Amino acid sequence: MKHMKGHEGLTSIETLSFSHAKFAYDRTKPIFTDLTVDVPMNSCIFVNGPNGSGQSTFLKLLAVLVQPQGGSYLINGVDTTDMSFEEFLPFRRKIGYTFDYGGLFANRTLLDNLALPLVYHKISTVQEAEAEIQELAARFKFDGQLEQRPAEVSGGLRKLVCVLRSFLTKPEMIVMDDPVTGIGPDGSGKLIELIRNKKETGELKHVFLTSREESWATRMGCKTLWIEKEKLHLREAERAA
Amino acid sequence: MAGHPSTSTQGHFLAFVDNLGAKVISIVRYTLEVCQMVYLCIRAAVFDQAQGLRTIFGVVSAQIYFTGWQALPLVSVLALAAGSIIVLQSATQLSLVGGQSMLGNLLVMIIIREVGPLVTALIVIARSGTAVASEIGNMRANREIEALEVMGINPLSYIVFPRLVGGVVSVVCLAFYFNAVALLGGFIVTRVINDMPFSFFADSLANAITIEDWGLFLLKNGFSGIIIFVVSCYQGMLVKQSSHEVPQVTTKAVVNSVIYVVTFNLIVTTLFYLNQLIKLGLI
Repeated sequence: MKHMKGHEGLTSIETLSFSHAKFAYDRTKPIFTDLTVDVPMNSCIFVNGPNGSGQSTFLKLLAVLVQPQGGSYLINGVDTTDMSFEEFLPFRRKIGYTFDYGGLFANRTLLDNLALPLVYHKISTVQEAEAEIQELAARFKFDGQLEQRPAEVSGGLRKLVCVLRSFLTKPEMIVMDDPVTGIGPDGSGKLIELIRNKKETGELKHVFLTSREESWATRMGCKTLWIEKEKLHLREAERAA
Repeated sequence: MAGHPSTSTQGHFLAFVDNLGAKVISIVRYTLEVCQMVYLCIRAAVFDQAQGLRTIFGVVSAQIYFTGWQALPLVSVLALAAGSIIVLQSATQLSLVGGQSMLGNLLVMIIIREVGPLVTALIVIARSGTAVASEIGNMRANREIEALEVMGINPLSYIVFPRLVGGVVSVVCLAFYFNAVALLGGFIVTRVINDMPFSFFADSLANAITIEDWGLFLLKNGFSGIIIFVVSCYQGMLVKQSSHEVPQVTTKAVVNSVIYVVTFNLIVTTLFYLNQLIKLGLI
């Protein structure tokens, strides 16, 4: 397989599974006490459930932003719970994650925020990164604001930039925590288009998301993974776009 | 029902020992975690193949600018004042006992070995330790640190390591500058009052400074820099989710940095003088 520039040595993600995983932010209020599941792959999964059932936490566990405090989380059958930052890096670079709030560097312009992962990992030169970002920004109609800092633009644009940044490094798996709240119908429509294009080209394989706007997830054609009382049930898409 | 008095006293004593033990364990654990952070950030910087020298150099130079360059006016004023007072007092007292030739030794002992490292460290803690702790704390609250992890950028090599290097360089340079200004300021004051020739003052100093003083200078100031910046970074990283934690961790960064720096200086000074006494055959 021909590697993309800056993607040499990265590991493709084939399977994800939890085995008796435990997690709690506060020891007195556990979110998961015995999570055992083989995560459905090669599709779009909308993680849903009652408030406080651990949807965002499940996404963080998937993206290894937090580690289970007991049990294991296996990627391609390899336990990731005791991996160092360097050991996990070949997987990490294949995973994109978008935050429900924050995540942009306050002292950098939107352009610099978007260019950081591309330039840092030498996926593109500064000029190539800027050209790619200009094109993307023009598509999402914020190319006139690229030189502004996050505090100078709307909350919706901040979120959109954070979402788009996660796609720039061409991840195989994308994990999005409430990506469309505030970005408007135009932005959310274009985001569906972007994800669909990347899925069709085979660049993007696995999509996991939560959203306050269920209709958006339905338009994406996602299967629903319902979390309730630590049990996960898969439901088929109600209506594919 | 009231207990027997001796049982009650024993209970209080055991509770005291219990609290003391818990406190000691928490201090040892904190110290080990801070030391582990130094190791991890150096390891991360060494193993991080993506992070080029240009990235590190950019943050290091910014840190030197903020910590070193911008602190020069404050350091100048304090060094001049401290140097003048110390030289004035020393020269006056020494002239009373006819020991003016010892002025250089006394200045090296007080300014270069003790006051310089301590005052410089306190200035850096007040100006830059607080800035670093609150900056990193706000980055945690704004999820910028998590964003770095998500992008495959190790925060320890990208955020902590350059600040540590820049901080250490700044503290060593500032301490050198402090000593120079303090001694120069001291000479100016002495010149006005005692009409001491510069050649006598310079010779006295040159004869007093030994290679051990240079070693002590580098040891005290280098480690003060490491302590201040690693404690401040560590405290900043302790912020979990909310910006209301930032002032709390900043205050703790200042308190802990002061305690660690003063304790370190005390230990080094004690060992240094014990070594001197052993060399002189006094113990």
